[in-house]
Amino acid sequence: MSSTPTLQTHYRRQGALDALVLVVPAIPFALVFGLTVRESGLAVWLGWSSSPIMFSGAAQITLVTLVGEGASLAAAATAALVVGARHLFYSFSMAPVMQRQPRWFRWLAPYMLIDQVFALCVGKRDLPPSDFRHYYLAAGITFWSFWMVFTALGLFVGPVIPADMDISFATPVLFMGLLITAIDGWQKALVAGFAMLVTLALVDMPSRSGLLIAVVAGIALGLLIDKARRIW
Amino acid sequence: MVMLTIILMGLCSYAMRAIFILALSDKTFPPMALRALEYVAPAVMASLVMTMLVAPGEGSLPAVREVAGLATAAAVALLTRNHIYVLTTAMAVYWGMGYLNL
Repeated sequence: MSSTPTLQTHYRRQGALDALVLVVPAIPFALVFGLTVRESGLAVWLGWSSSPIMFSGAAQITLVTLVGEGASLAAAATAALVVGARHLFYSFSMAPVMQRQPRWFRWLAPYMLIDQVFALCVGKRDLPPSDFRHYYLAAGITFWSFWMVFTALGLFVGPVIPADMDISFATPVLFMGLLITAIDGWQKALVAGFAMLVTLALVDMPSRSGLLIAVVAGIALGLLIDKARRIW
Repeated sequence: MVMLTIILMGLCSYAMRAIFILALSDKTFPPMALRALEYVAPAVMASLVMTMLVAPGEGSLPAVREVAGLATAAAVALLTRNHIYVLTTAMAVYWGMGYLNL
């Protein structure tokens, strides 16, 4: 609690602003989810309830799409679980920095630990704990509010933003920017490049499970490089 | 039944994000784990970027203008570390090439 009030406001505002930049390109995706719910034949409130309960876009869309296609609930849930399994990496990656946080925050923070919040906050790990917390909360709450509102809007208005505007491409662009910021040293650059290639090679694996293998392969390569450097 | 599935999935979703944060909250990390941790973010973010570009069974290579947009993003991020510049230049390249049907 060492920060002055002005600094707190600074990190809150910064977290909200950074999240907002990532919110805009995610709007078409949120609207598409609403449409997916309508087409699935589920009651709209039931489909939408997955937004606050799961708060996981890709897993929600997988679940609702498969249920709508008449897959068994067990099959749909399994696929959604595999899609969501990358969050295990986020949890592992955030574990050390969360050790310096109060208990209430350790229990609350995972609820908001989505791709965008992870990508933004992983680069802020060296902030003082209270600043980190303000930044994380502001980013998380901004994204959460947007997701609740726009998945609900999608139920009624459908995808009003035309897909050929391709605004969604801004998400990989911003993640690429955040990735570059997270890379210090050639080892991490190699790890990132290798993980990309493995993901590309395994793209046809079910439920995006290639991503999980690619991440493990990337980490293994990094550890091997470390080991080789110690021997030489 | 669908409601129950959604609630179960919500619990699983939370559990996957919480498990290491809560289970390791008072553990000392061995050196090996700390080194592995360093590589988690680059590996998972790189993999996510690729996942966003390719879908199964689409011939599975990103489009030329997507690669060009991402290369621009990477270069501008390296040079400026400013995400607004990254966004505007990369989207300009991507949209520009789309306009020219490249």
